[in-house]
Amino acid sequence: MSDDVVDPAPRARPIIECRGVEKVYEDGSVHALRGLDLEVAPGELLAITGPSGCGKSTLLHLLAALDTPTAGSIRVGEYDLARLRRPDHYRREEVGLVFQLHNLMPQLSAVGNVEVVMVGTHRRRRDRAARARELLAAVDLLPLADRRPPQLSGGERQRVAIARALANDPRVLLADEPTGSLDSDSVRTVLGVFERLRDDLGVTVVLVTHDESVARIADRTVEMLDGRVRHPDGEVEAPEVRGPSALPLGR
Amino acid sequence: MGRFVLVNLWAKKGRSFGITLAVALAVMTVVTLAAVSNGLKNSATQVLEISKSDFTVAQKAAPDILNSTIDSHQLAEIRATRGVASAIGVLLETQDLNAANPLFIEIGIQPGDLRRFGVTMVAGRPYAADASHEVMLGWRAAQNWGLRVGDIFHANGTWNRVVGIYSTGISYGDLGAMFPLPALQAYNRVPGALTLIFVKVTPGDSVAKVAAAVDYNHPELTTIRTASQFGRADRNLVFLGAAATGSTVLAILIGAIIVGNTMLLSLFERTREFGVLRAVGWSRSRLVALVGSEILVLAVAGSMLGIGFSFAAAAVLEILPPLRGVLHSDFTTVGFLRGLYTGIGMAVIGALYPALRAAHLTPLRALTHE
Repeated sequence: MSDDVVDPAPRARPIIECRGVEKVYEDGSVHALRGLDLEVAPGELLAITGPSGCGKSTLLHLLAALDTPTAGSIRVGEYDLARLRRPDHYRREEVGLVFQLHNLMPQLSAVGNVEVVMVGTHRRRRDRAARARELLAAVDLLPLADRRPPQLSGGERQRVAIARALANDPRVLLADEPTGSLDSDSVRTVLGVFERLRDDLGVTVVLVTHDESVARIADRTVEMLDGRVRHPDGEVEAPEVRGPSALPLGR
Repeated sequence: MGRFVLVNLWAKKGRSFGITLAVALAVMTVVTLAAVSNGLKNSATQVLEISKSDFTVAQKAAPDILNSTIDSHQLAEIRATRGVASAIGVLLETQDLNAANPLFIEIGIQPGDLRRFGVTMVAGRPYAADASHEVMLGWRAAQNWGLRVGDIFHANGTWNRVVGIYSTGISYGDLGAMFPLPALQAYNRVPGALTLIFVKVTPGDSVAKVAAAVDYNHPELTTIRTASQFGRADRNLVFLGAAATGSTVLAILIGAIIVGNTMLLSLFERTREFGVLRAVGWSRSRLVALVGSEILVLAVAGSMLGIGFSFAAAAVLEILPPLRGVLHSDFTTVGFLRGLYTGIGMAVIGALYPALRAAHLTPLRALTHE
């Protein structure tokens, strides 16, 4: 168990808890998050929507430990992100990231892009390759496993990126506008993958999106405005907490 | 990670080739200079090895050992030094006989000293002490010139009858010719002058003590017992050694700048890639290991290539007119190791800053890099 792990939490607890999160950028000119509170249940597919500049991506960066909050607390699984000493370990073990622009490495094949995330983990090289192919099969890309990103369509690249994000069995998948640069057919395919991840693997998915079709597959949609979560009734909404996943990603 | 390293290097073939070539050229310079320096040193030290003396006396700090000048009075004084069993005075000169033999070695020595000097007659007889127009050829020289006892050998602007063929067991000596000492002094207009004195110590006496006594009594001269002491008498070799060391340092510095510059450009190109790797959980140290491994592969490849190039460079130098027959490059393990550490040194120094910069990129900044 990592040094960064705090108290092992019972599964019924929300897997993500944000309390009074503030984010002011260094020069003080942008107050991106203003006392944000948010809970996400294990296995939930949460869509975060809102206008540009409302703080969606900032929140996702904080959840991915790519940035640190100015105030407030964030807990993801057993990790207290405010006290994180090894963010790389957290990003490798606990969360998977999917970017709007897939950010695949063009010199590597699809399977290589998935495999590279597992370099330095306990997995042997042969196991890594097998695992990468297994994940590509899960996103229906096994026949294209040896192709390089320039040889894949936008939707295929994004599915490789999703497979990459799942390589180290994360409990939480964070996706920033994953359908933002895709055509409608590819959007449907990619959203189908997210649904399967939730339904078959029990992965908690947080999607930041402008796309209304994404909201339709989500268990819950929260809208952000001016750095806060905006609830229709103005009250904090307690999320539905699911039981332990039938497929806990090999943990 | 090994496969990832190779794929990355292959993906940027131009950059990889450029760095490899920069390393190779630097390594070639260093290894070739080391081989040339060793070759010249070997040639020079072979002069000392012709005789089986305990130590050799030369003029202190002469620019070149063949320019050492000792007069016959000093020879007499050294012979009188306590503990000296024998002291043989020898004049060494070089003759430009033709394009293939621009530095033909000529040794002036009294016939009575030949045996103690380590000369064995292979054919014919020794020349007479006061003979003019008589010469003995080393067996290799005789073979090269196709001469036998009784033939005429033209050198020093005159004819010389070959009266004997000798062997010293040292190729440098066997490639030359021996003349009566006064004759060679006269040919070169240096009457009474000697180049070196080869000293044998009385059995039971300490070579070090006798050499120290000669050094003390003749501050203008120096004694040489080992190849490493050769620099006392031959400043050119000292300068050559210093040039070889200096060129290594320069090669490392210049190479490091080239490698560093290329790596820095590469870092800007790959900022986003590094950001992704950090975002998916790669640690800083793993990223440094990736960049370090890439540069190490190129450094080793460049060093190997550079060592290969150095053989070609040395071969070219050996056939250049001023060096033909003089330069015999000597490649040693030390020279190769010097090349290898030059290659790796320049690569590591060059890659250090870019690697650390890559490691300290914040993933978020790297991901938003355009």
